[in-house]
Amino acid sequence: MSGEVILNVENLNKAFGGLQATDNVSYEMMTGELSAIIGPNGAGKSTFFNLITGYHAVDSGKVFFKDRDITNWPPYKITRLGIARAFQVSNIYPRLTTYENVRQATLAQQRRTLNFFTPANRLAKKETMELLEITGLSQQANMISGNLSQGDKKRLELAIALGSKPELVFLDEPTAGMSGEETQETMELVKRLNREIGLTILFTEHDMSVVFGYARRLTVLHQGAIIAEGTPEEVRDNEEAQRVYLGEEA
Amino acid sequence: MEILTKKYWWLGLVFIGALALPLVVGEFWVHVAIEILILGLFAVSFNMIFGNMGQLSFGHAAYYGVGAYATGLLLVRASVPLPICLAASMVAAGICALILGYFCVRLTGIYFAILTLAFGQLLYYIIFQWYSFTGGDDGLQGIIPPGALFSATYYYYFALFVVTGALIAMWYVNESPFGYTMRAIRENADRTRFIGINVRRYMLINFVVAGMFAGLAGGLWGPFNRSIAPDLCNWHQSGIPVFMTVIGGPLGFFGPMIGSIIYTFLMAFVTGFTEYWPLTIGLVIMFVVLFMPGGVLGLVEQKMKVFRSRDLEARGDRSAETERS
Repeated sequence: MSGEVILNVENLNKAFGGLQATDNVSYEMMTGELSAIIGPNGAGKSTFFNLITGYHAVDSGKVFFKDRDITNWPPYKITRLGIARAFQVSNIYPRLTTYENVRQATLAQQRRTLNFFTPANRLAKKETMELLEITGLSQQANMISGNLSQGDKKRLELAIALGSKPELVFLDEPTAGMSGEETQETMELVKRLNREIGLTILFTEHDMSVVFGYARRLTVLHQGAIIAEGTPEEVRDNEEAQRVYLGEEA
Repeated sequence: MEILTKKYWWLGLVFIGALALPLVVGEFWVHVAIEILILGLFAVSFNMIFGNMGQLSFGHAAYYGVGAYATGLLLVRASVPLPICLAASMVAAGICALILGYFCVRLTGIYFAILTLAFGQLLYYIIFQWYSFTGGDDGLQGIIPPGALFSATYYYYFALFVVTGALIAMWYVNESPFGYTMRAIRENADRTRFIGINVRRYMLINFVVAGMFAGLAGGLWGPFNRSIAPDLCNWHQSGIPVFMTVIGGPLGFFGPMIGSIIYTFLMAFVTGFTEYWPLTIGLVIMFVVLFMPGGVLGLVEQKMKVFRSRDLEARGDRSAETERS
Protein backbone atom coordinates (compact mmCIF):
# COMPACT_ATOMS: atom_id res chain seq x y z
CA MET A 1 0.00 0.00 0.00
CA SER A 2 2.42 2.56 1.29
CA GLY A 3 4.73 4.16 -1.20
CA GLU A 4 2.25 4.65 -4.03
CA VAL A 5 1.32 8.13 -5.11
CA ILE A 6 -2.24 8.76 -3.94
CA LEU A 7 -2.52 12.46 -4.77
CA ASN A 8 -0.70 14.38 -7.42
CA VAL A 9 -1.35 18.07 -8.00
CA GLU A 10 0.32 19.73 -10.96
CA ASN A 11 0.75 23.49 -11.44
CA LEU A 12 -2.52 24.46 -9.83
CA ASN A 13 -3.68 28.07 -10.27
CA LYS A 14 -6.69 29.94 -8.97
CA ALA A 15 -7.38 33.66 -8.85
CA PHE A 16 -10.28 35.48 -7.22
CA GLY A 17 -10.55 38.80 -9.02
CA GLY A 18 -7.03 40.18 -8.84
CA LEU A 19 -5.95 37.97 -5.96
CA GLN A 20 -3.84 34.94 -6.86
CA ALA A 21 -5.12 32.56 -4.17
CA THR A 22 -3.24 29.55 -5.50
CA ASP A 23 -0.07 30.25 -7.43
CA ASN A 24 1.34 27.40 -9.51
CA VAL A 25 1.18 24.83 -6.71
CA SER A 26 2.46 21.33 -7.33
CA TYR A 27 2.10 18.76 -4.58
CA GLU A 28 2.40 15.03 -4.18
CA MET A 29 1.28 12.63 -1.45
CA MET A 30 2.09 8.99 -0.87
CA THR A 31 -0.37 6.47 0.53
CA GLY A 32 -0.18 6.36 4.32
CA GLU A 33 1.26 9.85 4.79
CA LEU A 34 0.30 12.18 7.61
CA SER A 35 1.27 15.66 6.47
CA ALA A 36 0.42 19.25 7.13
CA ILE A 37 0.14 22.50 5.28
CA ILE A 38 0.97 25.57 7.27
CA GLY A 39 0.92 29.24 6.48
CA PRO A 40 -0.45 32.50 7.81
CA ASN A 41 -4.11 33.40 7.45
CA GLY A 42 -4.98 34.03 3.82
CA ALA A 43 -2.03 31.98 2.60
CA GLY A 44 -4.40 29.90 0.47
CA LYS A 45 -4.64 26.71 2.55
CA SER A 46 -8.41 26.38 2.39
CA THR A 47 -8.48 27.36 -1.27
CA PHE A 48 -6.00 24.57 -1.97
CA PHE A 49 -8.39 22.06 -0.35
CA ASN A 50 -11.35 23.61 -2.14
CA LEU A 51 -9.68 23.18 -5.53
CA ILE A 52 -8.76 19.53 -4.96
CA THR A 53 -12.18 18.55 -3.62
CA GLY A 54 -14.15 20.27 -6.37
CA TYR A 55 -15.59 23.11 -4.32
CA HIS A 56 -13.99 25.69 -6.61
CA ALA A 57 -13.20 25.27 -10.29
CA VAL A 58 -9.47 25.50 -11.04
CA ASP A 59 -8.15 28.14 -13.46
CA SER A 60 -5.41 25.87 -14.71
CA GLY A 61 -3.50 22.83 -13.57
CA LYS A 62 -4.37 19.20 -12.90
CA VAL A 63 -5.39 17.08 -9.93
CA PHE A 64 -4.83 13.33 -9.99
CA PHE A 65 -6.14 10.87 -7.41
CA LYS A 66 -4.43 7.49 -7.79
CA ASP A 67 -3.51 8.35 -11.40
CA ARG A 68 -7.06 9.38 -12.23
CA ASP A 69 -7.62 12.92 -13.47
CA ILE A 70 -10.26 14.39 -11.15
CA THR A 71 -9.73 18.05 -12.05
CA ASN A 72 -13.00 19.98 -11.73
CA TRP A 73 -15.07 16.93 -10.91
CA PRO A 74 -18.20 17.69 -8.85
CA PRO A 75 -17.68 17.20 -5.09
CA TYR A 76 -20.07 14.24 -4.82
CA LYS A 77 -18.08 12.23 -7.36
CA ILE A 78 -14.77 13.05 -5.72
CA THR A 79 -16.17 11.97 -2.35
CA ARG A 80 -17.41 8.68 -3.77
CA LEU A 81 -13.99 8.04 -5.20
CA GLY A 82 -12.47 8.13 -1.69
CA ILE A 83 -11.58 11.70 -0.74
CA ALA A 84 -13.37 13.20 2.26
CA ARG A 85 -12.90 16.48 4.06
CA ALA A 86 -13.67 18.15 7.34
CA PHE A 87 -14.24 21.87 7.14
CA GLN A 88 -12.56 24.65 9.06
CA VAL A 89 -15.80 26.28 10.15
CA SER A 90 -17.90 23.34 11.27
CA ASN A 91 -20.20 22.40 8.45
CA ILE A 92 -22.80 20.08 9.94
CA TYR A 93 -26.59 19.59 9.94
CA PRO A 94 -27.41 21.82 12.91
CA ARG A 95 -31.06 20.82 13.33
CA LEU A 96 -30.43 17.08 13.18
CA THR A 97 -29.04 15.06 16.08
CA THR A 98 -25.37 14.12 16.28
CA TYR A 99 -26.34 10.54 15.48
CA GLU A 100 -28.39 11.58 12.44
CA ASN A 101 -25.50 13.68 11.16
CA VAL A 102 -23.12 10.74 11.14
CA ARG A 103 -25.77 8.29 9.93
CA GLN A 104 -26.38 10.51 6.90
CA ALA A 105 -22.76 10.22 5.85
CA THR A 106 -22.81 6.47 6.47
CA LEU A 107 -26.02 5.96 4.48
CA ALA A 108 -24.54 7.94 1.61
CA GLN A 109 -21.38 5.84 1.74
CA GLN A 110 -23.45 2.65 1.67
CA ARG A 111 -25.40 3.99 -1.33
CA ARG A 112 -28.63 3.61 0.59
CA THR A 113 -29.97 7.13 0.17
CA LEU A 114 -32.29 6.12 -2.67
CA ASN A 115 -34.08 3.69 -0.37
CA PHE A 116 -37.66 4.98 -0.02
CA PHE A 117 -39.23 2.28 2.09
CA THR A 118 -37.05 1.23 5.03
CA PRO A 119 -37.19 3.58 8.02
CA ALA A 120 -33.76 5.19 8.28
CA ASN A 121 -33.57 4.49 12.01
CA ARG A 122 -33.17 0.77 11.28
CA LEU A 123 -30.19 1.23 9.01
CA ALA A 124 -26.48 1.80 9.51
CA LYS A 125 -26.78 1.58 13.32
CA LYS A 126 -23.56 -0.31 13.95
CA GLU A 127 -21.38 1.79 11.65
CA THR A 128 -22.79 5.04 13.02
CA MET A 129 -22.27 4.03 16.66
CA GLU A 130 -18.71 2.95 15.86
CA LEU A 131 -17.88 6.33 14.36
CA LEU A 132 -19.42 8.13 17.33
CA GLU A 133 -17.42 5.87 19.63
CA ILE A 134 -14.02 6.50 18.06
CA THR A 135 -14.60 10.25 17.82
CA GLY A 136 -15.77 10.32 21.45
CA LEU A 137 -19.30 11.53 20.72
CA SER A 138 -21.35 8.59 22.02
CA GLN A 139 -22.63 10.57 24.98
CA GLN A 140 -23.88 13.33 22.69
CA ALA A 141 -25.51 11.00 20.14
CA ASN A 142 -29.05 12.23 20.71
CA MET A 143 -28.28 15.89 21.11
CA ILE A 144 -29.30 18.37 18.42
CA SER A 145 -25.92 18.97 16.85
CA GLY A 146 -26.38 22.74 16.68
CA ASN A 147 -26.21 22.72 20.50
CA LEU A 148 -22.86 20.93 20.71
CA SER A 149 -19.78 22.70 22.04
CA GLN A 150 -17.34 24.08 19.49
CA GLY A 151 -14.89 21.24 20.09
CA ASP A 152 -17.60 18.60 19.73
CA LYS A 153 -18.78 20.17 16.48
CA LYS A 154 -15.27 19.83 15.10
CA ARG A 155 -15.20 16.20 16.21
CA LEU A 156 -18.53 15.68 14.50
CA GLU A 157 -16.99 17.21 11.36
CA LEU A 158 -14.34 14.52 11.56
CA ALA A 159 -16.91 11.76 12.18
CA ILE A 160 -18.91 12.85 9.11
CA ALA A 161 -15.77 12.86 7.00
CA LEU A 162 -14.88 9.35 8.23
CA GLY A 163 -18.44 8.23 7.46
CA SER A 164 -17.54 8.40 3.79
CA LYS A 165 -14.91 5.66 4.39
CA PRO A 166 -12.27 7.66 2.56
CA GLU A 167 -8.73 6.68 1.61
CA LEU A 168 -7.58 10.29 1.73
CA VAL A 169 -8.86 12.88 4.21
CA PHE A 170 -8.37 16.62 4.27
CA LEU A 171 -8.75 18.20 7.68
CA ASP A 172 -8.96 21.96 7.63
CA GLU A 173 -7.71 23.14 11.04
CA PRO A 174 -9.18 20.09 12.82
CA THR A 175 -8.54 21.51 16.29
CA ALA A 176 -9.72 25.10 15.76
CA GLY A 177 -11.74 26.26 18.76
CA MET A 178 -10.66 23.33 20.96
CA SER A 179 -9.13 23.51 24.43
CA GLY A 180 -5.58 22.28 24.92
CA GLU A 181 -6.73 18.93 26.19
CA GLU A 182 -9.26 18.48 23.37
CA THR A 183 -6.59 19.39 20.83
CA GLN A 184 -4.31 16.69 22.20
CA GLU A 185 -7.10 14.09 22.11
CA THR A 186 -8.10 14.97 18.58
CA MET A 187 -4.56 14.87 17.25
CA GLU A 188 -3.97 11.52 18.96
CA LEU A 189 -7.08 10.28 17.18
CA VAL A 190 -5.77 11.60 13.86
CA LYS A 191 -2.48 9.83 14.48
CA ARG A 192 -4.27 6.59 15.35
CA LEU A 193 -6.41 6.76 12.21
CA ASN A 194 -3.25 7.18 10.21
CA ARG A 195 -1.29 4.41 11.93
CA GLU A 196 -3.99 1.84 12.53
CA ILE A 197 -6.33 2.21 9.56
CA GLY A 198 -3.66 3.50 7.23
CA LEU A 199 -5.67 6.55 6.34
CA THR A 200 -3.77 9.13 4.33
CA ILE A 201 -4.28 12.49 6.01
CA LEU A 202 -3.45 16.04 5.04
CA PHE A 203 -4.30 18.77 7.52
CA THR A 204 -3.82 22.48 7.89
CA GLU A 205 -3.02 24.03 11.20
CA HIS A 206 -1.89 27.31 12.66
CA ASP A 207 -0.94 25.95 16.07
CA MET A 208 2.77 25.20 15.75
CA SER A 209 2.99 22.64 18.54
CA VAL A 210 0.30 20.57 16.86
CA VAL A 211 2.06 20.59 13.52
CA PHE A 212 5.49 19.72 14.88
CA GLY A 213 4.15 17.01 17.13
CA TYR A 214 2.32 15.03 14.51
CA ALA A 215 2.97 15.80 10.84
CA ARG A 216 5.88 13.95 9.27
CA ARG A 217 6.09 16.34 6.36
CA LEU A 218 5.35 20.05 6.29
CA THR A 219 4.57 22.36 3.42
CA VAL A 220 4.62 26.11 3.93
CA LEU A 221 2.20 28.11 1.84
CA HIS A 222 2.59 31.87 1.47
CA GLN A 223 0.51 34.11 -0.78
CA GLY A 224 -0.76 31.07 -2.63
CA ALA A 225 2.66 29.60 -3.40
CA ILE A 226 4.76 26.85 -1.77
CA ILE A 227 7.89 28.40 -0.28
CA ALA A 228 9.27 25.53 1.77
CA GLU A 229 8.77 21.82 2.20
CA GLY A 230 10.36 19.07 4.26
CA THR A 231 10.44 17.44 7.67
CA PRO A 232 9.35 19.66 10.56
CA GLU A 233 13.00 20.17 11.50
CA GLU A 234 14.00 21.16 7.97
CA VAL A 235 11.17 23.65 7.75
CA ARG A 236 12.04 25.10 11.12
CA ASP A 237 15.57 25.76 9.86
CA ASN A 238 14.43 27.16 6.52
CA GLU A 239 15.10 30.90 6.44
CA GLU A 240 12.26 31.91 4.18
CA ALA A 241 9.77 29.90 6.17
CA GLN A 242 11.00 31.52 9.35
CA ARG A 243 10.65 34.94 7.83
CA VAL A 244 7.06 34.66 6.54
CA TYR A 245 5.56 32.42 9.12
CA LEU A 246 7.52 31.20 12.07
CA GLY A 247 8.95 34.66 12.65
CA GLU A 248 5.48 36.02 13.14
CA GLU A 249 4.77 33.54 15.87
CA ALA A 250 8.01 34.03 17.78
CA MET B 1 -44.83 -1.03 13.09
CA GLU B 2 -43.86 -0.96 16.75
CA ILE B 3 -43.32 2.77 16.51
CA LEU B 4 -46.69 3.16 14.86
CA THR B 5 -48.54 1.37 17.62
CA LYS B 6 -46.68 3.02 20.47
CA LYS B 7 -46.42 6.63 19.42
CA TYR B 8 -49.19 7.06 16.93
CA TRP B 9 -52.11 5.33 18.67
CA TRP B 10 -54.05 8.57 18.31
CA LEU B 11 -53.91 8.19 14.52
CA GLY B 12 -55.97 5.02 14.88
CA LEU B 13 -58.57 7.01 16.79
CA VAL B 14 -58.59 9.68 14.09
CA PHE B 15 -59.06 7.02 11.43
CA ILE B 16 -61.96 5.39 13.30
CA GLY B 17 -63.50 8.85 13.72
CA ALA B 18 -63.09 9.44 10.00
CA LEU B 19 -64.81 6.11 9.25
CA ALA B 20 -67.74 7.03 11.48
CA LEU B 21 -68.07 10.59 10.18
CA PRO B 22 -70.74 10.07 7.45
CA LEU B 23 -72.93 8.31 10.03
CA VAL B 24 -72.90 11.37 12.24
CA VAL B 25 -73.02 14.43 9.97
CA GLY B 26 -75.14 15.49 7.04
CA GLU B 27 -74.23 15.42 3.35
CA PHE B 28 -72.92 18.98 3.27
CA TRP B 29 -70.22 18.14 5.82
CA VAL B 30 -69.38 14.90 4.04
CA HIS B 31 -68.61 17.06 1.01
CA VAL B 32 -66.46 19.29 3.18
CA ALA B 33 -64.67 16.21 4.55
CA ILE B 34 -63.90 14.97 1.01
CA GLU B 35 -62.47 18.38 0.22
CA ILE B 36 -60.36 18.26 3.40
CA LEU B 37 -58.93 14.89 2.34
CA ILE B 38 -58.13 15.88 -1.22
CA LEU B 39 -56.66 19.28 -0.44
CA GLY B 40 -54.85 17.78 2.58
CA LEU B 41 -53.15 15.25 0.31
CA PHE B 42 -52.27 18.11 -2.04
CA ALA B 43 -50.80 20.10 0.87
CA VAL B 44 -48.79 17.16 2.30
CA SER B 45 -47.31 16.59 -1.16
CA PHE B 46 -46.45 20.30 -1.34
CA ASN B 47 -44.70 20.00 2.00
CA MET B 48 -42.36 17.33 0.62
CA ILE B 49 -40.82 20.25 -1.26
CA PHE B 50 -41.38 23.03 1.28
CA GLY B 51 -40.80 21.31 4.63
CA ASN B 52 -38.40 18.54 3.65
CA MET B 53 -36.40 20.10 0.85
CA GLY B 54 -36.64 23.66 2.16
CA GLN B 55 -37.78 25.18 -1.13
CA LEU B 56 -41.03 27.07 -1.71
CA SER B 57 -42.87 25.81 -4.78
CA PHE B 58 -45.34 28.40 -5.90
CA GLY B 59 -46.56 26.36 -8.84
CA HIS B 60 -47.54 23.11 -7.19
CA ALA B 61 -51.08 23.44 -8.60
CA ALA B 62 -49.64 22.67 -12.04
CA TYR B 63 -49.25 19.01 -11.05
CA TYR B 64 -52.57 18.99 -9.24
CA GLY B 65 -54.24 20.38 -12.36
CA VAL B 66 -52.50 17.97 -14.71
CA GLY B 67 -53.66 15.12 -12.46
CA ALA B 68 -57.21 16.46 -12.52
CA TYR B 69 -57.21 16.71 -16.30
CA ALA B 70 -55.69 13.26 -16.78
CA THR B 71 -58.43 11.59 -14.77
CA GLY B 72 -61.14 13.92 -16.13
CA LEU B 73 -60.26 13.32 -19.77
CA LEU B 74 -59.82 9.57 -19.40
CA LEU B 75 -63.11 9.25 -17.55
CA VAL B 76 -65.17 11.48 -19.86
CA ARG B 77 -63.64 10.63 -23.22
CA ALA B 78 -62.68 6.99 -22.74
CA SER B 79 -64.63 5.72 -19.71
CA VAL B 80 -61.47 4.24 -18.20
CA PRO B 81 -61.93 2.67 -14.72
CA LEU B 82 -61.28 5.21 -11.98
CA PRO B 83 -58.31 3.47 -10.28
CA ILE B 84 -56.49 3.37 -13.63
CA CYS B 85 -57.37 7.03 -14.18
CA LEU B 86 -55.80 7.90 -10.84
CA ALA B 87 -52.65 5.96 -11.65
CA ALA B 88 -52.51 7.81 -14.97
CA SER B 89 -52.88 11.09 -13.09
CA MET B 90 -49.83 10.26 -11.02
CA VAL B 91 -47.82 9.31 -14.08
CA ALA B 92 -48.87 12.40 -16.07
CA ALA B 93 -48.14 14.75 -13.18
CA GLY B 94 -44.84 12.96 -12.55
CA ILE B 95 -43.76 13.41 -16.16
CA CYS B 96 -44.63 17.12 -16.04
CA ALA B 97 -42.72 17.48 -12.76
CA LEU B 98 -39.74 15.69 -14.27
CA ILE B 99 -39.59 18.03 -17.27
CA LEU B 100 -40.27 21.29 -15.41
CA GLY B 101 -38.41 20.23 -12.27
CA TYR B 102 -35.27 19.61 -14.31
CA PHE B 103 -35.00 23.37 -14.66
CA CYS B 104 -36.42 24.35 -11.26
CA VAL B 105 -33.94 22.37 -9.13
CA ARG B 106 -31.08 24.28 -10.71
CA LEU B 107 -32.16 27.21 -8.57
CA THR B 108 -32.96 27.70 -4.89
CA GLY B 109 -34.73 30.23 -2.70
CA ILE B 110 -36.69 33.02 -4.34
CA TYR B 111 -35.52 31.98 -7.83
CA PHE B 112 -36.90 28.49 -7.31
CA ALA B 113 -40.22 29.97 -6.15
CA ILE B 114 -40.45 32.30 -9.16
CA LEU B 115 -39.55 29.61 -11.68
CA THR B 116 -42.10 27.14 -10.28
CA LEU B 117 -44.67 29.95 -10.43
CA ALA B 118 -43.76 30.75 -14.04
CA PHE B 119 -44.01 27.11 -15.12
CA GLY B 120 -47.30 26.75 -13.27
CA GLN B 121 -48.74 29.71 -15.16
CA LEU B 122 -47.38 28.31 -18.41
CA LEU B 123 -49.29 25.07 -17.88
CA TYR B 124 -52.36 27.05 -16.90
CA TYR B 125 -52.31 28.98 -20.18
CA ILE B 126 -51.71 25.87 -22.23
CA ILE B 127 -54.76 24.19 -20.70
CA PHE B 128 -56.71 27.45 -20.97
CA GLN B 129 -56.02 27.83 -24.70
CA TRP B 130 -56.09 24.26 -25.92
CA TYR B 131 -59.83 24.06 -26.60
CA SER B 132 -59.78 20.96 -28.78
CA PHE B 133 -58.15 18.83 -26.09
CA THR B 134 -58.90 20.33 -22.69
CA GLY B 135 -62.07 22.28 -23.42
CA GLY B 136 -60.21 25.52 -22.75
CA ASP B 137 -61.71 27.93 -20.28
CA ASP B 138 -65.05 26.10 -20.49
CA GLY B 139 -63.38 23.35 -18.53
CA LEU B 140 -64.50 19.78 -18.59
CA GLN B 141 -68.01 18.86 -17.42
CA GLY B 142 -69.79 15.65 -16.60
CA ILE B 143 -66.99 13.84 -14.82
CA ILE B 144 -69.24 11.26 -13.20
CA PRO B 145 -67.66 8.79 -10.78
CA PRO B 146 -68.54 5.20 -11.66
CA GLY B 147 -71.23 3.09 -9.96
CA ALA B 148 -71.70 3.35 -6.23
CA LEU B 149 -69.14 6.15 -5.91
CA PHE B 150 -71.85 8.49 -7.23
CA SER B 151 -73.11 8.90 -3.66
CA ALA B 152 -71.18 11.38 -1.52
CA THR B 153 -70.78 8.88 1.32
CA TYR B 154 -69.24 6.18 -0.84
CA TYR B 155 -67.00 8.65 -2.62
CA TYR B 156 -65.91 9.83 0.81
CA TYR B 157 -64.90 6.30 1.77
CA PHE B 158 -63.10 5.85 -1.52
CA ALA B 159 -61.20 9.12 -1.04
CA LEU B 160 -60.46 8.22 2.58
CA PHE B 161 -58.80 4.96 1.58
CA VAL B 162 -56.87 6.44 -1.32
CA VAL B 163 -55.65 9.40 0.74
CA THR B 164 -54.77 7.20 3.73
CA GLY B 165 -52.79 4.90 1.46
CA ALA B 166 -50.99 7.86 -0.09
CA LEU B 167 -50.23 9.33 3.34
CA ILE B 168 -48.77 6.03 4.55
CA ALA B 169 -46.58 5.89 1.44
CA MET B 170 -45.42 9.48 1.96
CA TRP B 171 -44.79 8.79 5.65
CA TYR B 172 -42.50 5.93 4.68
CA VAL B 173 -40.65 8.17 2.22
CA ASN B 174 -40.39 10.78 4.96
CA GLU B 175 -38.75 8.36 7.39
CA SER B 176 -36.61 6.61 4.79
CA PRO B 177 -32.96 7.36 4.04
CA PHE B 178 -34.25 9.34 1.06
CA GLY B 179 -36.43 11.48 3.35
CA TYR B 180 -33.49 12.15 5.66
CA THR B 181 -31.32 12.99 2.68
CA MET B 182 -33.87 15.66 1.72
CA ARG B 183 -33.66 17.08 5.25
CA ALA B 184 -29.88 17.02 4.95
CA ILE B 185 -30.12 18.99 1.71
CA ARG B 186 -32.48 21.45 3.39
CA GLU B 187 -30.12 21.88 6.33
CA ASN B 188 -26.85 22.06 4.45
CA ALA B 189 -26.73 21.33 0.73
CA ASP B 190 -23.00 21.99 0.56
CA ARG B 191 -22.12 19.42 3.19
CA THR B 192 -24.41 16.93 1.50
CA ARG B 193 -22.39 17.22 -1.71
CA PHE B 194 -19.29 16.43 0.31
CA ILE B 195 -20.68 13.18 1.67
CA GLY B 196 -21.12 11.99 -1.90
CA ILE B 197 -24.65 12.94 -2.81
CA ASN B 198 -25.68 14.43 -6.14
CA VAL B 199 -27.86 17.13 -4.60
CA ARG B 200 -29.54 18.27 -7.79
CA ARG B 201 -30.58 14.79 -8.80
CA TYR B 202 -32.08 14.09 -5.37
CA MET B 203 -33.98 17.37 -5.47
CA LEU B 204 -35.39 16.43 -8.86
CA ILE B 205 -36.48 12.99 -7.66
CA ASN B 206 -38.19 14.58 -4.66
CA PHE B 207 -39.86 17.13 -6.92
CA VAL B 208 -41.22 14.34 -9.13
CA VAL B 209 -42.50 12.27 -6.18
CA ALA B 210 -44.24 15.36 -4.74
CA GLY B 211 -45.71 16.12 -8.17
CA MET B 212 -47.06 12.58 -8.48
CA PHE B 213 -48.94 12.80 -5.18
CA ALA B 214 -50.27 16.24 -6.14
CA GLY B 215 -51.47 14.60 -9.37
CA LEU B 216 -53.23 11.90 -7.36
CA ALA B 217 -55.00 14.59 -5.31
CA GLY B 218 -56.02 16.37 -8.52
CA GLY B 219 -57.31 13.10 -9.95
CA LEU B 220 -59.58 12.66 -6.95
CA TRP B 221 -60.94 16.17 -7.35
CA GLY B 222 -62.64 15.88 -10.76
CA PRO B 223 -65.06 13.02 -10.03
CA PHE B 224 -65.88 14.67 -6.69
CA ASN B 225 -66.60 18.09 -8.19
CA ARG B 226 -68.14 16.60 -11.39
CA SER B 227 -66.24 19.20 -13.43
CA ILE B 228 -62.79 20.75 -13.69
CA ALA B 229 -61.52 24.06 -15.05
CA PRO B 230 -58.09 25.52 -15.90
CA ASP B 231 -58.26 27.45 -12.61
CA LEU B 232 -57.08 24.26 -10.89
CA CYS B 233 -53.63 25.04 -12.33
CA ASN B 234 -53.67 28.71 -11.52
CA TRP B 235 -51.48 30.40 -8.92
CA HIS B 236 -54.47 30.91 -6.63
CA GLN B 237 -54.66 27.15 -6.38
CA SER B 238 -50.91 26.99 -5.72
CA GLY B 239 -51.44 29.32 -2.78
CA ILE B 240 -53.85 26.93 -1.03
CA PRO B 241 -51.24 24.34 0.09
CA VAL B 242 -48.94 27.19 1.13
CA PHE B 243 -51.66 28.59 3.42
CA MET B 244 -52.55 25.16 4.76
CA THR B 245 -48.95 24.32 5.52
CA VAL B 246 -48.30 27.63 7.23
CA ILE B 247 -51.43 27.20 9.35
CA GLY B 248 -50.81 23.56 10.24
CA GLY B 249 -47.04 23.74 10.54
CA PRO B 250 -44.39 22.67 8.01
CA LEU B 251 -42.08 20.73 10.32
CA GLY B 252 -44.38 17.87 11.24
CA PHE B 253 -45.64 15.34 8.73
CA PHE B 254 -49.29 15.92 9.62
CA GLY B 255 -49.05 19.71 9.76
CA PRO B 256 -50.43 20.35 6.25
CA MET B 257 -53.30 17.90 6.87
CA ILE B 258 -54.23 19.76 10.05
CA GLY B 259 -53.96 22.98 8.04
CA SER B 260 -56.34 21.51 5.48
CA ILE B 261 -58.88 20.67 8.17
CA ILE B 262 -58.76 24.20 9.59
CA TYR B 263 -58.69 25.97 6.22
CA THR B 264 -61.41 23.94 4.52
CA PHE B 265 -63.68 23.77 7.54
CA LEU B 266 -63.30 27.50 8.10
CA MET B 267 -64.04 28.24 4.45
CA ALA B 268 -67.19 26.10 4.49
CA PHE B 269 -68.31 27.77 7.69
CA VAL B 270 -67.42 31.39 6.86
CA THR B 271 -68.74 31.41 3.29
CA GLY B 272 -72.09 30.34 4.74
CA PHE B 273 -72.77 33.82 6.04
CA THR B 274 -70.27 36.25 4.48
CA GLU B 275 -68.54 36.78 1.18
CA TYR B 276 -65.42 38.11 2.89
CA TRP B 277 -63.61 34.75 2.94
CA PRO B 278 -60.27 36.12 1.62
CA LEU B 279 -60.31 38.72 4.39
CA THR B 280 -60.95 36.05 7.02
CA ILE B 281 -58.21 33.71 5.85
CA GLY B 282 -55.86 36.70 5.56
CA LEU B 283 -56.43 37.53 9.21
CA VAL B 284 -55.96 33.88 10.22
CA ILE B 285 -52.66 33.69 8.35
CA MET B 286 -51.48 36.93 9.97
CA PHE B 287 -52.38 35.60 13.39
CA VAL B 288 -50.56 32.31 12.80
CA VAL B 289 -47.44 33.92 11.38
CA LEU B 290 -47.21 36.46 14.21
CA PHE B 291 -48.20 34.36 17.22
CA MET B 292 -47.44 30.72 16.38
CA PRO B 293 -44.73 30.55 13.74
CA GLY B 294 -44.55 26.74 13.97
CA GLY B 295 -48.22 26.51 13.00
CA VAL B 296 -50.86 24.65 14.98
CA LEU B 297 -48.78 21.46 15.07
CA GLY B 298 -45.79 23.39 16.37
CA LEU B 299 -47.91 24.75 19.19
CA VAL B 300 -49.44 21.38 20.07
CA GLU B 301 -46.04 19.68 20.07
CA GLN B 302 -44.72 22.33 22.39
CA LYS B 303 -47.55 21.84 24.86
CA MET B 304 -48.20 18.12 24.74
CA LYS B 305 -45.47 15.53 24.84
CA VAL B 306 -47.57 12.74 23.33
CA PHE B 307 -47.70 14.46 19.96
CA ARG B 308 -44.05 15.31 19.85
CA SER B 309 -42.19 14.25 16.73
CA ARG B 310 -38.76 12.71 17.09
CA ASP B 311 -36.89 15.82 15.98
CA LEU B 312 -38.52 17.91 18.63
CA GLU B 313 -38.24 15.24 21.27
CA ALA B 314 -34.50 15.13 20.93
CA ARG B 315 -34.49 18.86 21.46
CA GLY B 316 -36.70 18.38 24.51
CA ASP B 317 -34.35 15.75 25.96
CA ARG B 318 -31.51 18.12 25.46
CA SER B 319 -33.18 20.88 27.45
CA ALA B 320 -34.00 18.33 30.18
CA GLU B 321 -30.33 17.38 30.29
CA THR B 322 -29.18 20.93 30.70
CA GLU B 323 -31.68 21.46 33.47
CA ARG B 324 -30.35 18.45 35.34
CA SER B 325 -26.70 19.33 34.97
